[in-house]
Amino acid sequence: MAKIIVVTSGKGGVGKTTSAAAIATGLALRGNKTVVIDFDVGLRNLDLIMGCERRVVYDLVNVIQGEAGLNQALIRDKRVDNLHILPASQTRDKDALTAEGVEQVLESLSGDFDYILCDSPAGIERGAQLAMYHADEAIVVTNPEVSSVRDSDRILGLLASKTRRAENNQSPIKEHLLITRYNASRVDDGDMLNLEDIREILAIDLVGLIPESEAVLRASNHGVPVIHDDDSDAGQAYADTVSRLLGEDVPLRFHEMQKKSLLSRMFGGGRR
Amino acid sequence: MSLNVDRASMAFTFKGGMLPMTVMELTSADPERIREQLAGKLSQSPAFFQHTPVVLSVERLDEPHLALERICAVCRAHKLLPVAVRGGQDPVKQSAWALGLGWFPPSDGSRVRPLESVAPAVEPAAETDSSAEATAGSGRIYRGTVRSGQQVTAPEGDLVVIGAVNAGAEVLAAGSVHVYGALRGRALAGIHGDARAGIFCRELHAELLSVAGNYKRLEDIDPQLLGTSVQVVLDDAQLEITPLT
Repeated sequence: MAKIIVVTSGKGGVGKTTSAAAIATGLALRGNKTVVIDFDVGLRNLDLIMGCERRVVYDLVNVIQGEAGLNQALIRDKRVDNLHILPASQTRDKDALTAEGVEQVLESLSGDFDYILCDSPAGIERGAQLAMYHADEAIVVTNPEVSSVRDSDRILGLLASKTRRAENNQSPIKEHLLITRYNASRVDDGDMLNLEDIREILAIDLVGLIPESEAVLRASNHGVPVIHDDDSDAGQAYADTVSRLLGEDVPLRFHEMQKKSLLSRMFGGGRR
Repeated sequence: MSLNVDRASMAFTFKGGMLPMTVMELTSADPERIREQLAGKLSQSPAFFQHTPVVLSVERLDEPHLALERICAVCRAHKLLPVAVRGGQDPVKQSAWALGLGWFPPSDGSRVRPLESVAPAVEPAAETDSSAEATAGSGRIYRGTVRSGQQVTAPEGDLVVIGAVNAGAEVLAAGSVHVYGALRGRALAGIHGDARAGIFCRELHAELLSVAGNYKRLEDIDPQLLGTSVQVVLDDAQLEITPLT
């Protein structure tokens, strides 16, 4: 039985797809058979971030509507063997997803995979609720700004009430906080919420902190999940996140402003 | 003759007040269908039906004449007290008055929201975890964070929240509201009009504080009190916020 993890946030543009791609890749690199599903029907992005947009033939909606088999729609990642992608449809809308259809897809995948990552669309409507409904764990992606924190809080409320585990009185979904686009120097200046404030308001365990990094945009545009960029701060932070998700105790990094050394100041060595 | 009447000689004073009121939005005029649905609701949340005053809204009905008397009887049989009717045409207004009910013009609709305790449209805070919930006397104890969009109500007695109430969340009680954590959302005490109720919290950042319909917004609160432990009580129809030390 696969573990189903939803990557969600409420607010758009906080880094759900980037995180889903990086974490799915990380889980696969660590030897877990992983599939990542794009639930953002109509705004298909995951395939771009994963760099497989030219290989999409069938999608999630085709599978749900019986127009294609699961194996026809699953795309094997060209870099990591254990990793598969199930893309969303770009020409349909979220009404094309049905609760029964989603359940069947997850059930058939569950036998073959260790991890199923559901990349949720933004918002709290049907698409987001279907993405979270069957989850065992949730990664709530939050930026250090008040609107993002409030929307994450709203999503946490939905995770505790509008999901299969909540409705069947099972043990609650395990919730993880993932803070992205964290800029320690702007936090120091008071322009951004700090780590402790976010943790206090949301009151869930922190699974990772991803610093704001040029590597993320570069990775997205090249279609290579940023976790492959071992040298970058964001790539390392995602690797740490994956380790924590797998139960390892890894110290937090990148949350404090790094004092630039005299040399790097002289030669203008910026962050990668 | 002076217009200044001696306070002691007055039998009453008129005061404007904001009382929380349940609106029963009728989508059917058939008393039998209303009876069936009420019976179902009564078994789900018996605590809600405590001679609760309701305003019958007939705005969504398109019928000039209504069996208002029978509808009221059905409500009373289920421990709801119709106090007024909102909307409808002239015959409806006349029969409301004949039944001793008030009549309100149709609302603009912008300030009406579905009520969690009767309408399942708003998701209640995770009530599935039975360990998070305990009843103290007739009140209610809630353990955990009340999150944005959630509403936790104690229809009778006090509400005790052991955790924070986040921005965008709402906690309501017939009695007092106690929050053992940060209060960032809205807190309404004395929702049935109990003026002795109060609000107590460890850390005040509330969006709205209300006791028996008298309210203060975050903007009206002395900034020096923000972030501190306070009690909020009614004193002569004024909300008094004082430090808890």
